[in-house]
Amino acid sequence: MGSPPHIAVIGGGSTGAGIARDLSMRGLDVTLVEQGNLTHGTTGRMHGLLHSGGRYAVSDRASARECIEENRVLREIATHCVEMTGGLFVKRPEDDEEYFQEKLRGCRTCGIPAEVVSGAEARAMEPHLAKDVEKAISVPDGAVDPFRLVVANAASAIEHGARIETHSTVRDVLIEEDEVIGLEVEHASGAGERVHGKEGGREEIRADYVVNATGAWAGRIGEMAGVDIEVRPSKGVMTIMNVRQVDTVINRCRPKGDADIVVPHETTAILGTTDEEVEDPEEYPEERWEVDMMIETLSELVPMLEDARTIRSFWGVRPLYEPPEVGSTDPTDITRDYFLLDHAERDDLEGMTSIVGGKFTTYRMMGEEISDHVCSQFGIDAECHTAEIPLPGSEDFTVLRDYMDEFGLRSPIGRRSVERLGSRADEVLNTSDPNPTVCTCEGVTRAEIQDAIAGSGSDLNAVRIRTRASMGNCQGGFCCHRLAGELHGEYDESTARAAWDGLLEERWKGQRHALWGEQLSQAALNYALQATTQNRDRDPADGDPVDFSAFDGGVGADGGSGTAGVATDGGPRDGD
Amino acid sequence: MSDTEPQTDFDPIEPNTGREFEPVDVFPATEEFDLRPGADSCFKCSACDTSCPVAEVDDDFPGPKFQGPEQWRLKRREGHEIDDSVMSCSNCMRCDDACPSGVPLSQMHNTARGEYVEEQMSKTSVEYWRNRVLSNYRTSAFLASKVPRLANVTMNFGPARWLMEKTMGVTAEREFPAFASTTFREWWAERGGADESRRRARAHRERRGLDRDADKRVAYFHGCYSNYNTTEVGKAMVRVYERYGYEVVAPEQKCSGTPMFANGMLADARRHAEVNVSSMADLVEQGYDAIASCTSCSMALRQEYPELFDIDGIETVAANTFESIEYLRIHEDLKADVREARVSGDLAREFAYHAPCHARNQGLERQSVELFGDLEGAGIEDVGDSCSGISGTYGWKEEKYETSMAIGEEMFDHMAAADGEVGMTECPTCAMQMEHGTGYEIRHPLELLEEALVENPRSEP
Repeated sequence: MGSPPHIAVIGGGSTGAGIARDLSMRGLDVTLVEQGNLTHGTTGRMHGLLHSGGRYAVSDRASARECIEENRVLREIATHCVEMTGGLFVKRPEDDEEYFQEKLRGCRTCGIPAEVVSGAEARAMEPHLAKDVEKAISVPDGAVDPFRLVVANAASAIEHGARIETHSTVRDVLIEEDEVIGLEVEHASGAGERVHGKEGGREEIRADYVVNATGAWAGRIGEMAGVDIEVRPSKGVMTIMNVRQVDTVINRCRPKGDADIVVPHETTAILGTTDEEVEDPEEYPEERWEVDMMIETLSELVPMLEDARTIRSFWGVRPLYEPPEVGSTDPTDITRDYFLLDHAERDDLEGMTSIVGGKFTTYRMMGEEISDHVCSQFGIDAECHTAEIPLPGSEDFTVLRDYMDEFGLRSPIGRRSVERLGSRADEVLNTSDPNPTVCTCEGVTRAEIQDAIAGSGSDLNAVRIRTRASMGNCQGGFCCHRLAGELHGEYDESTARAAWDGLLEERWKGQRHALWGEQLSQAALNYALQATTQNRDRDPADGDPVDFSAFDGGVGADGGSGTAGVATDGGPRDGD
Repeated sequence: MSDTEPQTDFDPIEPNTGREFEPVDVFPATEEFDLRPGADSCFKCSACDTSCPVAEVDDDFPGPKFQGPEQWRLKRREGHEIDDSVMSCSNCMRCDDACPSGVPLSQMHNTARGEYVEEQMSKTSVEYWRNRVLSNYRTSAFLASKVPRLANVTMNFGPARWLMEKTMGVTAEREFPAFASTTFREWWAERGGADESRRRARAHRERRGLDRDADKRVAYFHGCYSNYNTTEVGKAMVRVYERYGYEVVAPEQKCSGTPMFANGMLADARRHAEVNVSSMADLVEQGYDAIASCTSCSMALRQEYPELFDIDGIETVAANTFESIEYLRIHEDLKADVREARVSGDLAREFAYHAPCHARNQGLERQSVELFGDLEGAGIEDVGDSCSGISGTYGWKEEKYETSMAIGEEMFDHMAAADGEVGMTECPTCAMQMEHGTGYEIRHPLELLEEALVENPRSEP
């Protein structure tokens, strides 16, 4: 037997990471390239719903069946990423009774456990539901953390020998005699440890097969390969609330419409969403009215949302696809199913397949199907095990141990950390070093930050998605500089400074759409704090590095008294 | 149809919605107050942490921001425990005042502490029973008042105190307060109760040229300490109020609940609050205002009751409760009267005044200093804005005693530096701490007010 075929996977979202895990578990040699961080595209911009399939039970039963199947799988293999909150399809008096019944029948037909509960029962489960909610259908919806799930898939792939390259943009698809033979990749001059010594350089990655799992960006890769892939990106807005107004996923039970779901997510609740086709997956307008409309509409289900604090809003693009002959005009009519486009069959281009459409909940199933397809290209008969083998972090463990005593953490902080880390908690939190809380909003300690830095390098946004540090109500106001400080030792000052800049920019970006009420107060305080104590309002053109030699070493640093000719007030030290 | 019927009758297609039963009857609204808006208000500025007297002296205490909005937000519905550090909060409530954004910190702390005690503290532990006994001071005081002289001797008997510290965790460092031989209520009944008070109030109205039947009626919430220990404060309140023409009633009442909140004994506190609210609400309806001479009692009725309990009439009572001197400063020209008065004898002294934290939260920290500044024959000096550190039952706990004294250090120093060698404060337990730290005798502002305004106060029994 020769060496296994080398597969290049483009795209570090749920689909790409799922494919990389699957293929590497089957013994293939895998390289995954991603232009940003893991989850940089659509995966990092979803509302965190683990579908029961209920949402598609009327309009798209094939998708509904896939959802409930994968819902059950993820509950087993990704325990540390999933919170089984349960979900409700809620009917208001003005919503159609016929549709309610149809939804119930649909769920039953698709094998989705569904029970009708009265309005009173629904309010007993969720006290903040509107008083006039008539009844609801309860389904096994859940909440899932897309960041952790993708990171865990990538970690598993690495364990099986895969190479994961983030901040690496595909510049060209290499073709010889109508066959794709590899990729030309540009590694960004970022500070991540995965730059492989080629900062800013280009690399030719030769591959026996290429999988294009770039979702809404699939058309761009297609263009480089000279094939036409008509992905129809559709944008949706999501707004994050400061606290959980509900602990169950709340869906509006009506045919289709904007602003019909509230998903409890970790410490927050995420409101979603809208559905509007856009030309470009990166350049599209983000408008305030979309946020306002969503809060207003969802207040009909949960009235307290009207006055509740929002901490940020973000937009994501769905990688919708339909065969061109269908010709839907409204993006809500486009199927949520996925399509495997073998460019050999379709465009006479050997060596590459694109996977488009689909949704987060079924990422593993998509990975399995495309991995089967890839294996068949090489006559490999290897079984898929991604549905049985738990992800790293989701191996057997219990969150019920007394972690507070074990790791010396305050009760809710210890519990939170263990929920995030799952079965990795012991290895990460067992430290004899001081372990202060770095991000107090989300309860993230130094040990967890250091573990994330070890895993992802100096990119603080990568640290953020692994830990949730800076994702709480102050949106990094009080911890971004502490996170940058955690890079000390391993990384030099300019690297830490650049990482700090990157994190701050990202944090402010999402807050632009939440600048009223309480979050405006927060932003004002953050600005004042960062400007006056961290010199963040300096002239951006004044990029001179800090001259550390101008400072003394502090009292006792060199055994001396720390005299450097100046007193602490800046005046000359001429005696007391 | 109701949910008590067998589940087998439940038809999912034709659910029992709306028509056949009133939802509220089946699922009563949750008793818990929603703290979400409170958590939303926090923008992490840490003003609360910098104002916390416990955090100042105890580096292991994570502070009010963590105890309140942070912990609340991190802790989800299921299975998340309250950190045990909430028991180190002394419930001084300074954080409420410090917050620029209206976060209901003490409400969050009280709620968390209640949950901690209810769900995580062993009901057979010494700590639980020690806290329960301490917070039910009224019960101990009631028993002691039956045999005050015996109680005064035995309660401070060295070996007994040593045993209490070893077995119960009640510090042997402190001396128990003396019990009065006659309680305030016994005195009040003997004196003729409300009828006598009405007679005297009318006489004073006539003397002052007021309408004999003027609507000046107050319900006195004397609290436990004025009843069992410092009865002279209660008597002073009655005499001063009557002098201004107020009829006083002393309705049925129990403990305000302050020590119970601080120990997470919310069920006990609620039982007592129900009695207090019920009797006060009736009187308020009739036009009485509720007056307390202890600033923690007035704090409880005004703020903690409506924040923690949903009892009929609780909002009305809260809105009509006042501290005793505050009320007179609002309705009478107290300052002018004090300026014209002079004191001599026992109370013609320089006072070192400490404002209790709970007075501070009601905006009352300057009232005694402002009032007595012009009083001839006496002087008053504010000893600063630090907490006394005792916080009711807190400083009585063996494991909290050192913290309590460390917090009090600043106040002791300032008292020593002040001219006076007699202390003054509105709060009974602050008074204990002041006395404990300096050896000074401590008086209540009402006593000085009585001395200044009431002629021959001790001429009556």
